[in-house]
Amino acid sequence: MSELTRPASTRSARTAPTRAVRLEATGHDGSFLGKTVTPAKFASGKESGFAFADILFAIDLGNAFVYGDAFPDWRGNLYDISMIPDMATLVQWKPGLEAVIGDYWLRDGRPVPICPRNMVRRLVERLQALGYTAKVAVEIETTLFAESVQEARARGYRDLTPLGGDTGATYHLARSKDWVDYMDAVTDRLDELGITWEAWTDEAAPGQTELNLAPSDPVSLGDSWVRTKQVMREVAFEQDRSVTFMAKPTAGFGQGAHINLSLHRDGENQFFAPGGPSEVMLQAVGGLMATMAGNTLLALPQITSYRRLVDISGPPTTISWGVNNKTAAVRAIVGHPKYARLEYRLPGSDVNPYYALAGVLAGVVAGIERRMQAPPQVDDMAWSLPYDSGVERIPDTITKAIAALEGDEILREYLGEEFVDFWVASRRWEWMEFHTKGGDPYAELSAWETRRYFEFP
Amino acid sequence: MRVTETAAIPKSPVAQRAPVRIEIDDDATPVVRLLGRTLRDAVRTGHAPEVLGRGTGTVAVRSHVTPQAATVTLHGGAVTVTGGVFAPADATLVVDLESRFAPTRDPDGDAELAGGMLRALRPPLPPWREAAEHFWDVTRGIRGVPDVLVAVAREPEGPQEARFGAGPSTYRMVGTPEALAGVFTGADYLLTSLESGLRVQGTLSQLSVMTAASWKVRFDV
Repeated sequence: MSELTRPASTRSARTAPTRAVRLEATGHDGSFLGKTVTPAKFASGKESGFAFADILFAIDLGNAFVYGDAFPDWRGNLYDISMIPDMATLVQWKPGLEAVIGDYWLRDGRPVPICPRNMVRRLVERLQALGYTAKVAVEIETTLFAESVQEARARGYRDLTPLGGDTGATYHLARSKDWVDYMDAVTDRLDELGITWEAWTDEAAPGQTELNLAPSDPVSLGDSWVRTKQVMREVAFEQDRSVTFMAKPTAGFGQGAHINLSLHRDGENQFFAPGGPSEVMLQAVGGLMATMAGNTLLALPQITSYRRLVDISGPPTTISWGVNNKTAAVRAIVGHPKYARLEYRLPGSDVNPYYALAGVLAGVVAGIERRMQAPPQVDDMAWSLPYDSGVERIPDTITKAIAALEGDEILREYLGEEFVDFWVASRRWEWMEFHTKGGDPYAELSAWETRRYFEFP
Repeated sequence: MRVTETAAIPKSPVAQRAPVRIEIDDDATPVVRLLGRTLRDAVRTGHAPEVLGRGTGTVAVRSHVTPQAATVTLHGGAVTVTGGVFAPADATLVVDLESRFAPTRDPDGDAELAGGMLRALRPPLPPWREAAEHFWDVTRGIRGVPDVLVAVAREPEGPQEARFGAGPSTYRMVGTPEALAGVFTGADYLLTSLESGLRVQGTLSQLSVMTAASWKVRFDV
């Protein structure tokens, strides 16, 4: 083991001299960005930080500058910001290569206000000030194709072959060996990296799998989530397969990323109460319901994200919650001191994990601080409700979601004015790019979308 | 389909005789917004009243390079613009949306209707100073817009300058009278105009917020 390396787990005790260190973080859209540096360079900058141009928050997935808002002072004519590694995340990624996740900081020592990981950290601290710690977990859905990414590119990411076949439904254990081999390789890599996963299964769409990461603190969960996506891509490269986290990679099923959350104090699950939701769970639900329309822009960040929102197909379509109601946007699991939690079912697989977590935490913290009341739960099926049901629909286009976040005073307070203005402008840019650069809003899924979103974020 | 009324206030005597309502989709796409804004401006300036005020029929308007498309319906002094083309239209225009609706091929269908709609969509530009004043009025409230806008037109007799606002931050835009009028009216998009000779002086942040200003006058977003 190199001097730099701290073991990810007892199974990662591979020995190899460190030849390079990879600096890792996400930009605004959730792409895993960074640099690979020599050990000497890393040693010289691991405390003072590494310079990155602010364009990592200003470039879209089509490699164009994102315009549309007044930059804050820390952004000038492409200023540098500093990425400071969080040494607690240092792992041996593979023999000879270390990897470390970092946060973005300004020259004056303040966190970059739109730094995704720092936003989660801020909300965790706010929650801690209320006396709670959060445990969160995520269900990552992704679709695997038999073709290599090079072949997928050559085909315009269309007409690909679902790995494991395109028959059957979900939970099949008899999927073909190619599919099983892929997932075995992924979980082997996660074990080596110390990323705790709980389960994986065959999901509903052809080629689709769901991988569940174990509950942990929100920042660590975000780290594990982005690294898991990287692992799944790397294994696909090694096996000449392709994998995508698009919200809807084909005109068929979409894919989500449900976030499960519980709050704890003195080792006790505060969401548990005998016989139903606890008071704090109801307050958290109140906050999540009040912020759901605005949070949609974080949970459904891309144009394609909104194509998932089809009634009676799986994703939620209404701003609703219910005990054990998987047709609602928030499912409350109650009645058990260990498993009591909220499942936030809105996010698509294409989210920036940190922003999605920050959005959920913002709703929960606001609900508790403001002692919000949960609206009546939906006992019926929460899809296709009539307009006079009293239950609002989730914004079903990116422009509606932009308007909702722009006017959300709660999220402006908890996520920050600067972030909200930035995110609104960047998503408006995305909408404009889609419509004016070749996207087709009337197609089930346009070529512009698959080209833009199949490989990233 | 729910629509939002975007009533125009007619200025010209012709328009006053026949006020025309321009309506667009709720949650409209950029091409619908562009068409709606262009036709509203046409009504406001009394341009092509014989088409917008009295014409009837449907015109499909399609981009020559992207899937952008919309249907313009004329019916007795009301004009409705909706996204997409989902039924046969009386006339079809294929145009360059980045070039002020310049047709890229001959129209299909009713030639008179098509010609009238093209006329309505291609109003003459106002003088650049007038356009700049309108631009400033519409966009000065956008957060982050510079305190001062300086427009400099390269006229044959030498550069001519117009200045709007007061304060420490300034943004200069320099170009031909045609280029300035195009950007300030929304007929042209700022970033596209930069590729064809318009020059600007300011920070990258100011360019970003001026892009939002350009969207405002072009798409009304």
